[in-house]
Amino acid sequence: MPFEVQGQGLTPLPLGSIGGLGRPSLIAALFFAVAAVGLCVGGARRRRGDIAEAGVRALTAMAALVAFATFCLVTAFFAHDFSLAYVAGYSSRSLGFPYVLTALWGGMEGSLLLWMFLLGGLASAALRRTKAASVLIGWAGATLGAISVFFLTLLVIPADPFRRLADVPIDGQGLNPLLQSPGMVVHPPLLYTGFVGFSIPFAFGIAALISGRLDGTWFTTTRRWTLFAWSALSIGVVLGGAWAYTELGWGGYWAWDPVENASFMPWLTATAFLHSVVIQEKRRMLKVWNIGLILLTYVLAVFGTFLTRSGILSSIHTFSEGATGRWFLPYLGVTLVAGLALIGLRLDALRSENRFDSLLSRESAFLANNVLFLAAAFTVLWGTVYPILNEALTGVRLAVGPPFFNRVFTPIGLAIVALTGIGPLVSWRRMSAASLVRVSRLPVAAGAATIALLAIGGVTSAGTLLAFGLCAFTATAIGGEFVRGSKSYRRGGLGWAPALRATLLRNRRRYGGYVVHLGIVLIVIGFAGGYGKVERSAELARGQSLAVGGYELSYADSRTYQTDEKQINEVTLAVTRGGKGVGTLRPQRNFHLAQRQTQSEVSIRTTPVEDLYVVLTSFDPDGAVVVRAFVNPLTGWIWAGAAVMLAGMSVLLTGGTAPAPALAAPRRTGVPRPALETGVSSVPVSGDIALTARRAPGRPPDDRGPAR
Amino acid sequence: MTVARGAAVVAFLVLVGAGPAGAAPDDVANDISSEIMSPFCDGVTLHECPSAEALSLRARIEQWVRRGWTRDRIMNRLEQQYGASIRALPPRSGTGLVAWVGPVIAVGTGALLAWTRARRWSRRSSPGRPAPAATEGERRRLERELAALRAGSDPGPRAP
Repeated sequence: MPFEVQGQGLTPLPLGSIGGLGRPSLIAALFFAVAAVGLCVGGARRRRGDIAEAGVRALTAMAALVAFATFCLVTAFFAHDFSLAYVAGYSSRSLGFPYVLTALWGGMEGSLLLWMFLLGGLASAALRRTKAASVLIGWAGATLGAISVFFLTLLVIPADPFRRLADVPIDGQGLNPLLQSPGMVVHPPLLYTGFVGFSIPFAFGIAALISGRLDGTWFTTTRRWTLFAWSALSIGVVLGGAWAYTELGWGGYWAWDPVENASFMPWLTATAFLHSVVIQEKRRMLKVWNIGLILLTYVLAVFGTFLTRSGILSSIHTFSEGATGRWFLPYLGVTLVAGLALIGLRLDALRSENRFDSLLSRESAFLANNVLFLAAAFTVLWGTVYPILNEALTGVRLAVGPPFFNRVFTPIGLAIVALTGIGPLVSWRRMSAASLVRVSRLPVAAGAATIALLAIGGVTSAGTLLAFGLCAFTATAIGGEFVRGSKSYRRGGLGWAPALRATLLRNRRRYGGYVVHLGIVLIVIGFAGGYGKVERSAELARGQSLAVGGYELSYADSRTYQTDEKQINEVTLAVTRGGKGVGTLRPQRNFHLAQRQTQSEVSIRTTPVEDLYVVLTSFDPDGAVVVRAFVNPLTGWIWAGAAVMLAGMSVLLTGGTAPAPALAAPRRTGVPRPALETGVSSVPVSGDIALTARRAPGRPPDDRGPAR
Repeated sequence: MTVARGAAVVAFLVLVGAGPAGAAPDDVANDISSEIMSPFCDGVTLHECPSAEALSLRARIEQWVRRGWTRDRIMNRLEQQYGASIRALPPRSGTGLVAWVGPVIAVGTGALLAWTRARRWSRRSSPGRPAPAATEGERRRLERELAALRAGSDPGPRAP
């Protein structure tokens, strides 16, 4: 790889190396992004589909240039081009695959480049594939272009991943050992896919506000993108917990770390959004809620990035305390103020077209759902930023740690679990209390029986008993929905499994959602199992044992060996339970040569009932070792629940997108609705069997959009 | 009394009667270290911090517990040594109280606003003008779908 060692200071960019092509690509991409904004705005204002299409093509060109810049940086990593400061800072000659690739997002500049790479690709694909009026496409393209201009400006000015070093080192500093794990391969890209993915519905929401097309097209046409982003973020958050569990060695998976919170907050508001839009689709209500929730989701997604990049909070995830923080705050401010101003201007058009028929209705349950998720997001936000606020106002830094979040968030979380079970039981529009009691009997009995059995079994924590009881209640309510849905197929002669399958596939959106809810229930069961956690530590000489939660760990052997990257110190512990051998565990305490850093590798024995989790906190090859051991009940249910969620998401993502017109009372404006929407009423049975018509898919009649 | 009601009563009694059991010194020490921010690692509790210094401080806390020190005495000693910001829970006085009260006020206000608004909407919900009569096509479709539902065959695409 050709390079020149020049004098002090930054060197000019030689074009001989591929790394030298990265920065010009980003600058060119910035110009295309600016052009895209201009063309999309022009096309939208003049309702010229051809001009808007030109803007979309400019965005596509921008995406291609960013992809090329990303390719340049990846190539520089694989070629060990340490003339680039970023490559030298996050890679080394001994760093193997796949971590030499994942080092791309090991630092701030590379993370921003990954963000921009995803934004370019998703924006281009969404604008080209979404069937909507050209005015919506135009304004959405302008919004996505403006977002791209911001992030590209960051990459070109304060966070240049192609900055060159005056003195080129022989080897790089390597990647933080904590980031050299399988979780690092997928966790950040999935999180970023989620964060960036919410730009799509956000952009279309802004487009709807600007154009005045507030009929719901903006979210129905982007529903699959929203689901995709939410799914990626959900799995990313869970994988982050799994990574923390297997890498950090403290026996837990969620520390309410500021950056964990930053990924959790947009997930909460996005979840509320996904549920709330159902009401707008069916009853043309909660429009302000929906546009507000997607605005909040996008702002929180960027806010999380601000928290990470600004260095304003201390976190083990914080990459650096660079200069990008002062760019993010104005951007966030402008986005929030502009979004709220647009909502304010369109408030009349956003008023609900219907009213609540009864407080005991599914509509009210969805409203309560919105309130609870928003409350949860606020709680997390408040606890995360309060130390900064208090320090700014009083000069005193207070800590708000995990115990605060556990105490304040848990009641809200349990209320959400309860509502997850109540929701399917309540009818649309109106339900009598007697009917609700009747359909709730079995779930309530299941919940109560669970509490009673656990209490008899020795569980004494009220919170834990309540959590398990609510999980049983909710799981029974959801199971009942599947049973009811399958009965019609069973009457036709199908067995239970084919009937369940037919039920799931016939109405993917509804039953796919129930599967996701079941996954959440399993995850909450895993959380609740933490009540029974046991932890012990001991210094062990060879032959000595440590007792923890019914297990006995005996220090049998140790060995030390070296690889290109690290010195590995491994201990063999023989595990017995009730005097019977159940296996061996081999925790490690390794010394990473490039970083001169020591890091422990956890050893875990997993069963459906509990995890035996062991970490080595000190290693003396000639003497004793210090072992920290945990017995974590039901932790495996968290990962199993995530897998069930993933299955449900897959069902949802393959579901239909055509919206069903609501069964609505006549509009207050006096304009009569089409007959299909007024002539049919819901069948008065429990649940929400409703006969609706499907609108034929296709473009709105006044669209003059380009052919795709 | 039905089985469901009986089980619900038992569960309620169990919940209100439930309380914490006594804890071993290791467990008390672990609880305390979970309520202290680590002076050696940014942004994590002492329980989560992997550093050697954190290990040493956790061991010292366990020794204090075994000597019979109360939780308050241990927390006060740590605060004297490392400052007020070592407590992972904000104090329930002064500006720390705002941290606790803030979410309660915000959430309570939001919930109250949503409740009163929904209640007002449901009271003002007009019966509406009578819906126009169903067309012949709609009647035929309705009868066909009801018949299919009773027969247990696939009635066709359903709304979510």
